Amino acid sequence: MRRWAAASIRVRLTGWYAAVLGLTLVVYASATFVAVRHEFMEQLDDQLHDDFEAAEGFLTSTPDGPVAWSGPADRDHDGDEDRGLDVWSAGGERLARVGASEALPPAAVANAGSEAHYESITAGGRRWRTLIGTALVGGRSLVLRVSRSEERLRGQLAEVLTVLLFGLPLVVVLAGAGGYLLARRALLPIDHLATAARRITAERLHERLSVPNPDDEIGRLGAVINDAFARLESSFEQLRRFTADASHELRTPLAVIRGIGEVGLGETRTPAEYKEAIGSMLEEVDRLTNLVDTLLRLSYGDAGTVRLARVPVDLGQLTRDVVSSLAVLAEDRNQRFALDVADGATVAADRLVLREAVTNVVDNAIKYSGRGSTITIRVQREASDAALTVADEGPGVAPEHRERIFDRFFRLDEGRSRDSGGTGLGLAIAKWAVDVNGGRISVAGRDTGGAIFRITLPIAAASVNTQKES
Amino acid sequence: MRILVVEDERKIAQILVAALETEHFDVVVAPTGEDGFFRANAEAFDLVVLDVMLPGRSGLEILQTLRQRHVDTPVLIVTALDGVDDRVLGLDLGADDYLVKPFAIPELLARIRALLRRGRPSEVFRLKAADLEVDLVTRRAVRGQRLLDLTAREFELLEYLLRHQGHLVSREMLAREVWKEPRRATPLDNVIDVQMTRLRKKVDADGDRLIHTVRGVGFVLREGEP
Repeated sequence: MRRWAAASIRVRLTGWYAAVLGLTLVVYASATFVAVRHEFMEQLDDQLHDDFEAAEGFLTSTPDGPVAWSGPADRDHDGDEDRGLDVWSAGGERLARVGASEALPPAAVANAGSEAHYESITAGGRRWRTLIGTALVGGRSLVLRVSRSEERLRGQLAEVLTVLLFGLPLVVVLAGAGGYLLARRALLPIDHLATAARRITAERLHERLSVPNPDDEIGRLGAVINDAFARLESSFEQLRRFTADASHELRTPLAVIRGIGEVGLGETRTPAEYKEAIGSMLEEVDRLTNLVDTLLRLSYGDAGTVRLARVPVDLGQLTRDVVSSLAVLAEDRNQRFALDVADGATVAADRLVLREAVTNVVDNAIKYSGRGSTITIRVQREASDAALTVADEGPGVAPEHRERIFDRFFRLDEGRSRDSGGTGLGLAIAKWAVDVNGGRISVAGRDTGGAIFRITLPIAAASVNTQKES
Repeated sequence: MRILVVEDERKIAQILVAALETEHFDVVVAPTGEDGFFRANAEAFDLVVLDVMLPGRSGLEILQTLRQRHVDTPVLIVTALDGVDDRVLGLDLGADDYLVKPFAIPELLARIRALLRRGRPSEVFRLKAADLEVDLVTRRAVRGQRLLDLTAREFELLEYLLRHQGHLVSREMLAREVWKEPRRATPLDNVIDVQMTRLRKKVDADGDRLIHTVRGVGFVLREGEP
C-alpha cells in the first residue's frame, strides 16, 4: 500500500486506467459470449426444425409398411455423422434409424406428446441437440426425432472464447501503455514546472516560471506558483531591508557609546567633561533601549502573542485626548489643530494600543508640518466604519512611497533621521496597532501638497445601543 | 536600613551597590539563588532586591518560600522578563513591586524609597524647596513672592518633582506617574521635554535654578548644583 502511494501519479493513473478498462472489457466480453452462444443455439434449433419439416415432407410410408426417404439425397441423413433421424410408430416400435442416430439412445416415445420439443442429450461423449415430435406421414402418425451434434457449435464458441480471452489482456496491456504515454505527456508540464521552480531559489527569486497558456490547468498552477514567488520575493526583500536598517539603527548608538567612552578615557579631563561624556552615552543608551523595546513589541505583534483587551472605545474622545496630550508639541511649533469630531464613532479596540496608533499619526503630522501650519483632524462615521483622518501641510508622501512608509525604519528623507528624534518605527507601530484592532491605515496626498493619513475601524456593534441610551 | 541584593550578574550587582550606598543604605549582595535564600531567611533586612533568572534557585522560588515562611520583608523584583504574565506571577507570589531591566537607577531608588515609606502614612499638604512653596490643597504654587500661573499638568509635574526633591526623576517615571501612560514612547518624551521647559521658565524665571536637567538621565529639583 505504501509502495502504491509512493508511486508516481503517472503510474497510479495508468494502473487505475488499466483496471477500469479491464473490468469494463470483462463485462463486455461476458455479455458478448452469452449473446453469441444464445444466437448459435437458436440457429441450431432452427436447423433442427428445418430437418424435422424435411423429414415430415420427404418420408414416405405405407400403413404397416417400412418407412423410406424419397427426398433429395443431400437432405438425407444417411451416413451423416453429425445429423440423425429416428422414426418410431405411435406404438413405440422403431421404424427407421438414419445417420448419426446410431449413437443416440432411444427416446421415450410415450412422452413425445403432440407438441414438438427440443432436448439436449449427451451420448458417446458428444453433446447432441434433438427435436422430437409427432408427424403424419402417409396418413400414419409417427414419432420423429431429428438430431444434430453440438460439436461444431461448441467449436465455434470455443474460438470466440479464445479470441476474447487472449485478446482482452492484450487490449488492456496496449491501452495501459497508451494511457501511460498519455499520462506522461499530460504530466510532463508539471515536471517542467517543478524543475523550473526548484531552480528559482532565494538568490534567484526575481525569476518567474514561463506560463505559455495561463488559462489551462497547468497555466493556472504556474500562475499560482509565480504569485507565491512574488510574495516570497517581496517578503525576502522586506526582511533584507529590515535587517540592514535594524543593524544600522542598532549599531549607530553602539558606535557612539563606544566612541564617547574611548575618547573620554583617552586623556584626563575635567569632571564636567566626564559628566558631559557620560550623559551623552546615557542618551544613546536611552535611544537604544527605546528602539529595542519598540522592536520587541513589534515582534511580539508579529508572533501574534499580544493579548488585546477590546472594549468599546469612542474614537472621537480618544482623538481629543491624544491631541490635548500632544498639543504642547504643536504649540511649540506654532501649529494649530483644526478638530472636527463627530459623535458615535465607537469602535471595539484595545484602548491603549489604538491610542498609540493615533498618537504616532498625530505626532508624525506635527513633526513633518512646518511652523505655523494647520493640522486638520477629522473623526467621522462612514457607513459601518469609523474614520479618522489627519491632514498635514508637510511635504507629503510620493505615491511610490505610500506602501512602504509603514515599513519599519522607512524614512522619506535619510538625512533627518536621527536628529528629528524618531526611531523610524512610529508609523510601523501605528500600522501594527491599527491592524491588530481590525482596522486599516493608509496615506494619500492632498491637493495642497501635504499628506492625509486615514485610519478606519469597524464601528462596534454595541455603539448604536449606547447612542440611543445616552 | 539594610538591603539584600540577590543578583548574579556581577556588573549589575556592583551598580546596585554603588547606587544604594550613595543613598546611605547598608547593602549585602548574594550572587546565587541559594545564597540569597539562605541570607533572606537567616538575617533581617528592610528590603530585598531580587533577580528572577538566577543560577541554582529561581528568584520566584525564593520569593515563594520566603512568603510561605511568613517572612514579610518587602521584595522588589528586578528582571528582564517584561511579559504581563511574568509581572502578574511575580506580584501574585508576593512581590511588592516589579521593575524591568534595563531600568533607570533613579526609578529603582524611587521605588525602593516608596516601598520603605509604605505603611507610614505621611500625608503632606504643603511641599517646599528653597523659596518655592506649593500648597496641594489650594493648588497654588509660589516662588518667593510671585504666584506661579501653572496649568494643571505643570502643577502635577512640579508636585512630582517636589515629592522627589533632591532625587533624580527619569522620563519613564514622569510618563507613568504624571502622564499616567503605561508605556514610554518618543512622542511622549518630546511632550515631557517641552512641558519641563515651560515649567522651568515659570519656576526659575527669577531666583536660583531649582529644576535641573541631568543629561541622559532625567531631571532633578534641588537647591544648588545638580
